[in-house]
Amino acid sequence: MLAKLYIQFLKFGAFTFGGGWSIVAQMKEIYVNREKVITDEELLDITSIGRSLPGTMIGNIAMFFGHRMAGFLGGLACMFGMITVPMIILILITSFYTAFQSNIWVASAMRGVRTAVAPVILSALMGMIKSAFKLPPCYVIAAGMFVLYFFMKVSPVMLVVIGAVLGLAVCEWYERRSHDAAA
Amino acid sequence: MLLLELFWSFVKIGFTSFGGLSMIPLISSEMISHGWMTASEVSDIVAIAEMTPGPLGLNCATFAGMKAAGILGAFTANMGALSPTYTLCVVAAVFFEHFRDNKRLGQIMTGVRPACVGMVAGVVLDLALVNYVEAGAVHVPSALLGVVDLVLLLKFKLSIPVVLTLSAVAGVIMFGVMGM
Repeated sequence: MLAKLYIQFLKFGAFTFGGGWSIVAQMKEIYVNREKVITDEELLDITSIGRSLPGTMIGNIAMFFGHRMAGFLGGLACMFGMITVPMIILILITSFYTAFQSNIWVASAMRGVRTAVAPVILSALMGMIKSAFKLPPCYVIAAGMFVLYFFMKVSPVMLVVIGAVLGLAVCEWYERRSHDAAA
Repeated sequence: MLLLELFWSFVKIGFTSFGGLSMIPLISSEMISHGWMTASEVSDIVAIAEMTPGPLGLNCATFAGMKAAGILGAFTANMGALSPTYTLCVVAAVFFEHFRDNKRLGQIMTGVRPACVGMVAGVVLDLALVNYVEAGAVHVPSALLGVVDLVLLLKFKLSIPVVLTLSAVAGVIMFGVMGM
């Protein structure tokens, strides 16, 4: 069972590029449609919890699913399966990168690639914006954190914690206000 | 000692990141402040992580760990980045029903998501300053290539690996062959 989970997640891990959604789609195909070991709703719950907990989304989803199938060890089997192939590939690429960093052709190619990184992140940022501003004060939080990060160089760890506290405070405030309005 | 430091760095990164890009500001500040990477290496790592399979955060962990302390470093960094998964996530799995529609989690994310948007916007500017500015002046060919990349991504909806590959080719021609 553990070996089977490990190998299945090894395959998932090898064929994902970018976001974790393709893994969720593959899990649906295999575990919901074919093997019928979990339902659509369960997979959706696992996905939404895995996404909202800190850490890597697909690592969390793998752990969650493995835990449901075969306990903690099952979770570990899925998690390690998921990271094996990407880790080996990245280790090879990094060795190559370090060895050829000063080669003129590699250096020019990397220089070209670097010009694309800010646009790539910017385009992904556009995608994040849709779900990020649930309440009007969220705009203030985003602007404030930008200033603290970019100009004041406050540590991102600190900023995430501040964001979490503000989130709790803002939601509580809105809830109480709508409560008062109703009463 | 280095391994312990690397592990702890990625534990911090893991516990305060919520998927994908939100890890980049954290990784960038941790790596640069420890001297494990330069600002342009942070750009490279994002590009490489986007072009290879696997989650962005873990790919960054592998790259940073390798650069700082070899293969053992890569493994250590991964274990750090995954620490919320084998602690917090296990607790959540055990108390699955309780976590199913947790109100507090939703409230926290209401604040964390915009905070990430603000920080990621800061990173975009940071990286733009590193990649398009040379000796205090805007490097025009690099900036133009960046604009073209943005148009390809947003207007023509090309996928990220495709755009990165095209930029690599453009880089070889512009900076290698033409010596811009």
